[in-house]
Amino acid sequence: MTGNASSAEASATVGALDELRRAQPNLRLLTAAADLEHYGRDWTRRWTPAPLAIALPATIAEVQAIARWANVQGIAIVPSGGRTGLSGGAVAASGELVVSFERMNRVLDFNPVDRTLTVQPGIALEAVHKAAAEYGLIYPVDFAARGSCSIGGNISTNAGGIRVIRYGNTREWIAGLKLVTANGDLLELNRGLIKNSSGYDLRQLVIGAEGTLGLVVEATLRLTDPPPASQVMLFAVPEMSALMRVFAACRKRLNLSAFEFFTDRALHHVLAHGAQKPFDEISPYYVVTEFDAADEAQQQAALEVFEQCLNDGFVNDGVLSQSDAQAAALWRLREGITESLAPYKPYKNDISVRISAVPDFLDEMSSLLTREYPQFDVVWFGHIGDGNLHINVLKPAELADADFVAQCERVTKLLSEVLARHGGSISAEHGIGLVKKPYLAGTRSPAEIELMRGVRRVFDPHGLMNPGKLFD
Amino acid sequence: MKILVGYKRVVDYNVRIQVKPDGSGVVTEGVKLSANPFDDIALEEALRLREKGIASEVVVATIAPADAQAHLRNGLAMGANRAIHVVTGDAVQPLTAARVFLKLIEKEQPQIVILGKQAIDDDCNQTGQMLAALWDRPQATFASKVEVSGNAAKVTREVDAGLETIEVDLPAVITTDLRLNEPRFIKLPDIMKAKSKPLETLQLADLGVASGDTLKTTNYAPPAKRSKGVMVKDAAELVAALKTKGLL
Repeated sequence: MTGNASSAEASATVGALDELRRAQPNLRLLTAAADLEHYGRDWTRRWTPAPLAIALPATIAEVQAIARWANVQGIAIVPSGGRTGLSGGAVAASGELVVSFERMNRVLDFNPVDRTLTVQPGIALEAVHKAAAEYGLIYPVDFAARGSCSIGGNISTNAGGIRVIRYGNTREWIAGLKLVTANGDLLELNRGLIKNSSGYDLRQLVIGAEGTLGLVVEATLRLTDPPPASQVMLFAVPEMSALMRVFAACRKRLNLSAFEFFTDRALHHVLAHGAQKPFDEISPYYVVTEFDAADEAQQQAALEVFEQCLNDGFVNDGVLSQSDAQAAALWRLREGITESLAPYKPYKNDISVRISAVPDFLDEMSSLLTREYPQFDVVWFGHIGDGNLHINVLKPAELADADFVAQCERVTKLLSEVLARHGGSISAEHGIGLVKKPYLAGTRSPAEIELMRGVRRVFDPHGLMNPGKLFD
Repeated sequence: MKILVGYKRVVDYNVRIQVKPDGSGVVTEGVKLSANPFDDIALEEALRLREKGIASEVVVATIAPADAQAHLRNGLAMGANRAIHVVTGDAVQPLTAARVFLKLIEKEQPQIVILGKQAIDDDCNQTGQMLAALWDRPQATFASKVEVSGNAAKVTREVDAGLETIEVDLPAVITTDLRLNEPRFIKLPDIMKAKSKPLETLQLADLGVASGDTLKTTNYAPPAKRSKGVMVKDAAELVAALKTKGLL
């Protein structure tokens, strides 16, 4: 609620909450200050959580009742999963009802013929991986937050992660969705069909909508066969311009499932966090790549790629995993970055351009960041094989939070202009949320944004579904 | 000083073991095979002793089928100077392995033999001890710290009560525990160099070693599956259920 909210308004919303309690006596509602803070925010720390209450529904019927109640009372809803988001998409800072799917976290069905797994939205990504493994299959979308992020949040941001170059984003793996709309209707979108040419695919519209079109209450996920045995290589790369050359060389000879890079600053922070040092000598850039290595020919090809890159001067050194434990240790160098940076309250950029535009874009962006952030520790990493870069600016301890954010936002404005010139996106996989809202216009045209507004109005005429996120 | 290191190939630690349907063994076809983790630690320790100038040569040895050459090349890539491949199609038990290593000791005359305390396939934890007895030399098992000076090694051992430090005269057998060190990553340039390092092949049958394989495994079976949990309505039902199971 804003500062000038009258006490009459405040008592009206409290009355509304009582109304919900009376109508749904079994619905779990939390209003303790600690719960409001816990459920009112994601991994961003810029906003002070101030939700009205937290609802923890256990059934779709309860979610529908909540939506109908909110629609009548004019109370906004913020959906909430694992709250590992980095764009403020799950932040509730102005008297909203947070609908947490924490209790709706089960596997509902496995269909061996369709090879689909039907789950509730609050299930953690890692639990989905484990459930798929029980049936000898995999759900291939994967990233570092797997232990705590939820499928509902993955869907709402169209999460990508570390194996996008082989498997694509979350979007490719959603066979069907159940959605509770703002007026409490339950929609069954696509119903697990593989082929369905019958008009607008509303399922795809909901994926990546950041909760603005309704509440995802069930998802049917496509599963696939496990990949062949793989190995992981880590390369030390002497200069930025070599990164995409190494990628081209690897992609030509190897069947890649991941191609990630990070800078020496990133490695510095992960090693300080306790990871094992891979090389004696420092290089400015590193690449982690995972590839099929089921037979000797594939392993031999990897050595030849390395040899070629070494001769061409694209790499200085490299290591190769000899066991799955070593593969995990090498992955940790990349996946541990976000956690190792967390204490520095980093300002995060999550940007993408087409793969072919990466070399020119890297050049331009690197000179921009060197010029604009001379005094800050800037850490680069990301899924360079799919054109997605994460640029984290670390807050110097002595700088006030607000001053730091203000400086970063000024640079992000410039970055957004560079992105627009290269046809890129201000958010590759984190979502727009609150954090990237000011820069949406650099990625989407005015006509496009106007159409998106129109879609949102159709789904949510009173503007109660995660308002303030994506665009105002 | 020369160090001989045992370097066994096993099913990777992270692989979920599956028993063959006929109960004759575990599935190893199409499964990731890696060095026994304790043997990786053994090799790492030997390499560190060489890097400190204490050892001059590190030899890795394995007793394995003919297709284990790539495995030994990994040991060479990690940094061993030479490799010895004792070829046999059959899995050998600890006493046979110890007798083979005694033959290798006679041939190589190492001052230190470092083995993993056990291999994660059969978890026997016997070969090092048997080898020391056959060789009639001291043993320092479950090492978490090794300091070599002159003709003796001071070894910190992980024992039930905590840590025990002993000193053994060399030559001696040392077996490694998990905390001894963290094995290095294998560098790609070293994998290429390893191709030209010497790898000697011996047939187990030619060594004149009497088989010590006295155990016969009759059947393999997976552990019993955990039954699915049941949901109880309330605390009273939980208490009742625990009582019927005799747990309360």
